Amino acid sequence: MSAVVGGAIYVPRADVPVAELPALLLPAYGETVLMVGIVMAIVLVVGTPLGVLLHNVAPGGLFERPSLHAVLGWIISVGRSLPFLILMASIVPFTRFITGTNIGIAAAVVPMSLAGIAFFTRIVENALRSVPPSIVRVARASGGSNLQIMRSAQFGEAVPAVLGGLTIQVIAMIEYSAIAGTIGAGGIGYVAVTYGYQRFDNTVMLATILILVATVAFVQVAGDRLVRWVTPQKRLQRA
Amino acid sequence: MISLLELTKTYGRGADSVTVLDRLNFEVGAGEIFAVTGPSGAGKSTLAQCINLLERPTSGSVVVNGEDLSSLPEKRLRAARRRIGTVFQSASLLSRRTASENIALPLEYLGVTPGEIKARVGELIDRVGLGPKAHSYPFQLSGGQAQRVGIARALALRPAILLADEATSGLDPDTTSSVVELLKQLRTDLDLTVVFITHEMDTVRQIADSVARLERGQIVETGPLVDLLTDHGSPLGRALQPRRGFAAADDGAATWYVTYDSADVPGDWIQRVSADLAVPIHLLGASVETVHGINTGSATLGITARSDEAVQAVLARYGLSGTPDARREATAGGVPVSLVRSGAVPALEGAA
Repeated sequence: MSAVVGGAIYVPRADVPVAELPALLLPAYGETVLMVGIVMAIVLVVGTPLGVLLHNVAPGGLFERPSLHAVLGWIISVGRSLPFLILMASIVPFTRFITGTNIGIAAAVVPMSLAGIAFFTRIVENALRSVPPSIVRVARASGGSNLQIMRSAQFGEAVPAVLGGLTIQVIAMIEYSAIAGTIGAGGIGYVAVTYGYQRFDNTVMLATILILVATVAFVQVAGDRLVRWVTPQKRLQRA
Repeated sequence: MISLLELTKTYGRGADSVTVLDRLNFEVGAGEIFAVTGPSGAGKSTLAQCINLLERPTSGSVVVNGEDLSSLPEKRLRAARRRIGTVFQSASLLSRRTASENIALPLEYLGVTPGEIKARVGELIDRVGLGPKAHSYPFQLSGGQAQRVGIARALALRPAILLADEATSGLDPDTTSSVVELLKQLRTDLDLTVVFITHEMDTVRQIADSVARLERGQIVETGPLVDLLTDHGSPLGRALQPRRGFAAADDGAATWYVTYDSADVPGDWIQRVSADLAVPIHLLGASVETVHGINTGSATLGITARSDEAVQAVLARYGLSGTPDARREATAGGVPVSLVRSGAVPALEGAA
């Protein structure tokens, strides 16, 4: 396709044919799903207990530790305040220490998980805060241990709010995966940047946009359904 | 039986400390309903939290059936809480659990087997009369039904003491009455000791055997309900009387505020007083009811009489106590109550 003309490399502009799009986009989509999936698993496992802990060491929590709350809150706020691209670049040595590389899915998972944990911790904390304090008093008066109270009264009541936040989180993680794509993490974001942006391939650009819009819309609808299903009032009352 | 001995709760330290409860003493026997009332900010909620052991007293103790519970170490304190059932304001049910599942909560915490939980919850649901609503969620229950679930939950672990913390506040009068009847029934059936904390004087008259008034962290007056209601000199007794609006007296007539001051006021006292004084009596307003089989209440009368002393003497003959000029009466005796025409909201009843 290319020819040497007067010493310069000439690359004719040619969009990827529509017939070849699936071969390009499907593996990339698979990578995105994998990346977001791994990150979400880590975020849920670490962020949920961290959010419950943060809520309960706060003043008025089950085991108040104001200094621990201040330190934890500060760390999370720092994590939340850095733009993801900056966070990702600034922790490259850490990422390399953990995964041995700074490109690819494994390398993307580290900064995404850190940003995601900070994000989700706040979501869980916020959801627990919306549970009326009287519910926790009831649970304590009923003879519950701290662990029982956290599980059945605090988290149990906050499940719809947590799932609503989780939906927002998954969408944010899809977005982060696209940013991570720029450092060679692969995925749909990487394709959008290399083909759509750097090569002006409008077909690929349009296709990735459609895929992302459809994915986000699907996640949102699924999340809303889930919230509805775990909220008795919404599940049983027909609007 | 529950007793409070010199119970004191102080928040903060040194100069900034606030004493919310100041050396409270009272004792409530099995099968007795003891009401604690008082204005907002008197320390009622703190008292409730000290009784159900959610808060530790600064000094003094909470003794249940001879055992001092308030000084137990944290781990045993949790077990001790199970001996006191608490009915909270507006039930505070877990919104994602059915009525049955809410009642099962204390049993689950205790680690009771699912089979036993099912049996016990079924029993409790029937006892509070909610059988058909067992599988309803809180949003499907009325305020009164939700409160019945709250009562069943409080009883789940067969406590000796039932603490009702503003349990009927926010319910309409009919629902309040039905909840009160249920609590009285349970008290009799289960020989419960009931501590009923409320700011609603009307509910106190319906439920209490004895009453204490809490003000600025201290019990300022206490006694059996009937004694208080029939004691004209008792500020708490007067605060317990409903205050209703009354009509204006005719020109030349004095407005008399009359209270039942003994346990044996004759039913036809108005006629008798009128006959003895030989003047007509205008009934301007009244509230009379039977509490523990004794007539109690108050009336506002318009009387054109020769002398105030004569009227008072005749009233006293029938076990009544009266003061001329009802509005002036209200400020006498150091009671912070303004008896206004629209009545009904003396400061003692306060807001929630």
